[in-house]
Amino acid sequence: MSILTVQHLEKHFENTKVLNDISFSLEEGQALSIIGSSGSGKTTLLRCLNFLETPDAGTITVQDKVLFDADHHANCSEKEIRKNRLHFGMVFQSFNLFPQYTALENVTLARELMAKDTGESKDAIRAAGMELLDQMGLADRAGHYPHQLSGGQQQRVAIARALALHPDILCFDEPTSALDPELTGEVLKVIRGLAEQKTTMIIVTHEMAFARDVADQVIFMDGGFIVEQGDPKQVIDHPQEERTKQFLARFAENN
Amino acid sequence: MFWTVTLSILQGCSQAVKLFFLTLLFALPLGLVVAFGSMSKWAPFRSLAYRQQEARGFARWLSQLRPLSALTNIIVWIIRGTPLILQLIIIFYGPGTWFGTNPWNAFRDGRMTACCIAFIINYACYFSVIYRGGIEGVPAGQREAGEVLGLTKRQIFFKITLLQMVKRVIPPMSNEIITLVKDTSLARTIAIIEITMAGEAFMKSKGITWPLFYTGVFYLAFVGLLTLLFSFIERKLSYFK
Repeated sequence: MSILTVQHLEKHFENTKVLNDISFSLEEGQALSIIGSSGSGKTTLLRCLNFLETPDAGTITVQDKVLFDADHHANCSEKEIRKNRLHFGMVFQSFNLFPQYTALENVTLARELMAKDTGESKDAIRAAGMELLDQMGLADRAGHYPHQLSGGQQQRVAIARALALHPDILCFDEPTSALDPELTGEVLKVIRGLAEQKTTMIIVTHEMAFARDVADQVIFMDGGFIVEQGDPKQVIDHPQEERTKQFLARFAENN
Repeated sequence: MFWTVTLSILQGCSQAVKLFFLTLLFALPLGLVVAFGSMSKWAPFRSLAYRQQEARGFARWLSQLRPLSALTNIIVWIIRGTPLILQLIIIFYGPGTWFGTNPWNAFRDGRMTACCIAFIINYACYFSVIYRGGIEGVPAGQREAGEVLGLTKRQIFFKITLLQMVKRVIPPMSNEIITLVKDTSLARTIAIIEITMAGEAFMKSKGITWPLFYTGVFYLAFVGLLTLLFSFIERKLSYFK
């Protein structure tokens, strides 16, 4: 049974259609990579899954529960949207850590604010936060503020922050694009580790080699359409569609 | 003579300080409310044009109208666009002239009350624009990061945006607040004896001008203290970037 099913998702901004009939599904414990050139709609798709954008058509289903249905969205309360969001975690290209909080506070903030409802103790939340930072190799940076951390460290804190809420599906929006080449490795290593632990993930990335190694499934997007999807070795090494071949060839030239 | 002058100016100071703090006490929060008003996206007629890009002419204009935001912006335009001294005169003398009795007489210190109200409205409008700049200057990614963590709008504002906004608005706010110190001298327009008027009185009655320069010392000391306070706050907030 798929953990995530997206059907016929569409999104336009003013008169430009940025997502066209997007359908795919994802199994629990699998990693999905979305590749494609800039402006192909990859990021918009992730933003739709996290309800940062409202799709104009289509449905999003997580574990048999329809989280979003464009036909019935008008009467969806803000509270419901907030609850639905928690099925997804999001790691942004530009980290978006909260500058006024330490690394640990960034990780624990949301859970502490929710403690009123969940009844979790502050100590338990802090311990869980420390454990996550430790898992990211950042135990000794817990008390640092974001501006005192390198880009790679900031992104790892951001991953810990997203994991703290135990999302069903963790989304990465070009997690290494804002990093120096020498810092991408440490972030990719962490994501690889998550894949080995069977974390369900959707990764928008330009790191082809990484996508091929880590992903169980690859989607190639162009002009708001899914052009090709399937096994990474097939899509990346033996693309069927002309557009995919062009993209990968140009990509190979530049690297 | 020196002590007579000092005492007189100090009495003026007490009026100025009262006006200064009462204005800040109310205008600082009111400015935030005005800022939210001007940023309001409330568009009650949006449904008139189901798909905005298809609506034309008046229907399109109406569907995009944000009445709260528009009204707030008009008020801010009027208040920022006319002299504070004019607003002060209208607020204090206007009602009496229109209705025959001056409603401010009902207050224990009607002149000061009217003056505070004029100052609060005026400064709240200036503050609102500074606040808006501070809020809009916080990257959208901060709000989005809060949203994907399931935080409510209120939590996002108070736990994430607010402190970053405060840090951003300190320099322009310090300008505005220093201007407020000197604007307290406008209170004399409605016969409140503040610092400048207290000093000038000696020029008129005794023909001496040094008290005028002496009043400057009081303003400088006041502004000096504020400058120290602002740099202290800036230092306190320098732990993050």
